[in-house]
Amino acid sequence: MTIRLTDSRPARLPLTGADCFLRAFDAEIGRWNGASHVSGLVLRLGPGFDVEIFRKLLDDVAREQPILGAPIRRRFGLGLPEYRLDPGRDGPPPVSVHDVDAPRAAGAPLPAIFSRRLNERRSLRRGELIRFDVVRYAGGAGGTELAMTWMHLLLDGAGSERFVQWLDEVHRGAVGASDLPDPDELRGDAPSSRSLAERGDAARRWKAWVDGFAEPPLRSLAGPRRRVPQDLRFDVLHLNRDETERAVAQAGRRAGFLTPMLFYLAAAIRAHHAVFEARGVDPGAYLVPLPVNLRPRGREGAIFRTHVSLIWFHVDPAVVGDFDALIDELKAQRRAAIKAGHVENGVAAMEFVRSAPARLYARMARSGTKGELCSFFFAYTGEFLPGIERFLGAEIHDGFHVAPVPPSPGSCMAMSIHRGRLNLTHVFQRSVVADDERRRMRDSLRRDLLSEAGR
Amino acid sequence: MDEPTTETLTKRIFEILRDEILNVDAGFSPQSNLVDAGLDSLAVTQLMLSIEESTGVWVDEGLLTPENLATAETLAALVYEQLTGT
Repeated sequence: MTIRLTDSRPARLPLTGADCFLRAFDAEIGRWNGASHVSGLVLRLGPGFDVEIFRKLLDDVAREQPILGAPIRRRFGLGLPEYRLDPGRDGPPPVSVHDVDAPRAAGAPLPAIFSRRLNERRSLRRGELIRFDVVRYAGGAGGTELAMTWMHLLLDGAGSERFVQWLDEVHRGAVGASDLPDPDELRGDAPSSRSLAERGDAARRWKAWVDGFAEPPLRSLAGPRRRVPQDLRFDVLHLNRDETERAVAQAGRRAGFLTPMLFYLAAAIRAHHAVFEARGVDPGAYLVPLPVNLRPRGREGAIFRTHVSLIWFHVDPAVVGDFDALIDELKAQRRAAIKAGHVENGVAAMEFVRSAPARLYARMARSGTKGELCSFFFAYTGEFLPGIERFLGAEIHDGFHVAPVPPSPGSCMAMSIHRGRLNLTHVFQRSVVADDERRRMRDSLRRDLLSEAGR
Repeated sequence: MDEPTTETLTKRIFEILRDEILNVDAGFSPQSNLVDAGLDSLAVTQLMLSIEESTGVWVDEGLLTPENLATAETLAALVYEQLTGT
């Protein structure tokens, strides 16, 4: 008899604290904006991608990894939310194919279906966690665009890339569909080494830190949240290889070789500031959360669930005019946050409110900041699919993340580098950022990313 | 920490990395590549905070180049430069 790994997995898998926090995001977006908290990843592929082989692969994988379609429910309707892992109950994730007669034109906009997927209402209770859209040009001979969209709590940014990489490894037969890179990841969480009292103290310290962001009050481009339908769109700023080389060199020189995200975050803050200045509106303060990857070192392979904490930056707009002063401010705030233990404190806070994460969300969005969650969302994920040149045999011409954002703050910038080219995806709520304002943001970004001034 | 030398700094940095920051095996040495051993953005800041606690010197992130962060030895040389101004 063959004993598969799935045989020894639990039938229920609790959500991490960060998952629960994201579940609260989803519930709030559903309540206020009629949509879900859906994240995306886009691959632009050359010829050779076979949809039927992909469907078969997903079929095999879904049988072995029931988390892909697992309903998320509370035990007896009251306990901690958990995945119900029932092998064989659900089919594979849906794959929709959209055919375009002509080959893909250079510089053509991304298919509208990719944006529409961000605004769907999906059910966690029914396990509608992930789906794929394949846009085939000239029957595939003219290339293919593949969008994977998923409920954000199923995969974080790093996990989504690991998932794509792992799918390809399964396709090539390098690993089996039951063999996850981290075999322990679906066995529940290890007990914390800290006592309940220690975790409580840590959570309180994080709460006090977040409470301190109330003054001065911030203002996002969208303004305080209100009941509007979620209508997210996105566009991508691509830098060529020469430009990317310059930007990467600047990021390393001014923010540090291992901490370039502070350079990119500074550029993103200044891009938003350019719009506030043009509007003649005082942003109050810039409040931006930066996701921090928390995979245990030496176990980088975990795919499913979110393994992140947050570092918050609270920036006085008076600093924003000087790019290097702003980078210095971000460095100092990040250093202070890590020294104070807020990366770990954030984990403790999210773990503490697993049974009622909406309280933490609502506290941030309603009390301290008067309806504003933050100024905008930001993520820098470094190399996108490093070392991976093909997916199911088709060359990957380009790839990037499409990180979601609620209609308020209504703006999110995600950056990554694929094969030496920096991609900046700007996801925005339609009507929050006008076309000329997006041009202004792109101009500001290019100016900063390619600037030779400063240190 | 009294009158550090590059040797004592190398030893201290190596111990911080081995015991507090990285999850490394017995083969990890002062000559091991730090990024290959798992040094990332969070770990490097935790490391620099520990070095600051030991030496009183904060090394600006902009000075942390791939060459300076190659090994515990190269990092110790940078910290020594910052300490002594040489």
